[in-house]
Amino acid sequence: MKRKLNYTGRMKIERKNISINFISESGGVVAFTVTKLDLTGLNLPPEAKVYVEAYYRTELRRFDFGTAGSITNPSPCDLRGMAYPENLKFRILVVAPSDGKLLAQGDRISLKKSGERKSILPVEFSDLGNEIWLVKYEGDADSPILIINSRIPGIQNIACRDAQFLTYVYPAVIREILAHMVFVDGVDSITEPSVDWHGDWLRFVRLLGVEIPEILNKDGDNFDKQKALKWIEDSVLAFCSTHSHRFQEYIRRQEETSLCT
Amino acid sequence: MHLRIMLQEGVQKFAQYINDLKINPSLQRPDLNSEPSSEKFSTEIPVDETKVFNSKIELAEYLHACFTSKSLKREDVLPLNGIWTWLAYIWFDQFAPSRAGTREIKEDAKYLCSSDYRDYYRHFVAGPYSIYSLHGHDNSRIFLYSSVNQHNDFIEQFASRQFIISHRNIVEAISRLYFDYQKGQPKTGAQSRTRPGNIRRFVSVIQQFELTYDIYTMDPARILELLPDEFNHWK
Repeated sequence: MKRKLNYTGRMKIERKNISINFISESGGVVAFTVTKLDLTGLNLPPEAKVYVEAYYRTELRRFDFGTAGSITNPSPCDLRGMAYPENLKFRILVVAPSDGKLLAQGDRISLKKSGERKSILPVEFSDLGNEIWLVKYEGDADSPILIINSRIPGIQNIACRDAQFLTYVYPAVIREILAHMVFVDGVDSITEPSVDWHGDWLRFVRLLGVEIPEILNKDGDNFDKQKALKWIEDSVLAFCSTHSHRFQEYIRRQEETSLCT
Repeated sequence: MHLRIMLQEGVQKFAQYINDLKINPSLQRPDLNSEPSSEKFSTEIPVDETKVFNSKIELAEYLHACFTSKSLKREDVLPLNGIWTWLAYIWFDQFAPSRAGTREIKEDAKYLCSSDYRDYYRHFVAGPYSIYSLHGHDNSRIFLYSSVNQHNDFIEQFASRQFIISHRNIVEAISRLYFDYQKGQPKTGAQSRTRPGNIRRFVSVIQQFELTYDIYTMDPARILELLPDEFNHWK
């Protein structure tokens, strides 16, 4: 079952409506405070229970925030006794008290340190046998992770700087990920996709100046396969154009090599 | 010997040793029990380097006893990757046994404890301790019944999923469903990919529940009750 399916009409609590801060003592996180939890506009029954959960790996702690009609903020919420407080993520749940069904949820809320930029493509190095790279969809909400073969000598340096590697690998990676989004997952909305990483990648493509087709859901009524394929190709082309200096560097090196031989 | 923390230099040497073993299986384990490879842990905890464990649960029990004897809680030791890497180092021969002149070497994450949240459960020492210290003896058995160097399907399917492994009630439901307490092993066929109600199906169904119900407040019996008919065979 794909996580993006929403058969029960569960509503999404937008990140912009939540504000959470850590409290530290002696350099370690000991608690958190919720300074904003805005559920207005979701039309929730006032008696619905509201919870905030802090979690990471095997750890989970739940805090009772009262009801949708009367939020009781127990901040500061004590995190002492949790093994990885600095790495915690948060989940907000609104639950119907009668049958325990989820009415609204905001999940995978992480607290960014100031100035920290979010990578849309984490890179890991691992022994891939005779393969140079592959994309695994094992990040948050099955987001993509680029795995590069750690057996290649000096690969961490090559992966960051080598023009030949960047020219060969990254366009193919982008093509693979966009194709996965459209033809494996299906993007349920190009403006507010329910899968966060789809939204990140759509923003990335928009920044490249490529117009996004209205329907990228392969199961949608008006899905146009040719348009989707062209969008993927245009996106890859735009990425290559943006990084044309890498291609020029690669060409220059090739020319120098051929002159030497 | 007392518990030590593997330091960066020790981690690098240990990683190199693991890598070199793939080429030369008879290579001697380097001595990493001194600085700058490792340092003493702040509390003196005796650790028996020669102890042989018959299962992951024995290993987890042993460590749990070591830590609790010094009033150390899981949150005091779990984040210290260097402890887990050092423990994998001292018991390395159990985690990478010799067979017919070769060494059974697994991926690095099984020996070198990583901060990556996706890898914690793969580590041969941190993974079992993490599960045991959270879920206790009875509900850990389904994950930790196998030998210390065997990564079973229950760990891969359940412990790799934060939502499942962090919910005590789901873990208890899993144990009730798939573990044969009399035989001390999982029920036959639970790991099959084709039998109705197998563990992969459980994952799919619970992921659906996760988006539908507030699982946290349900007791294990209620979770089992909600499962579709295909799981009846296992109840």
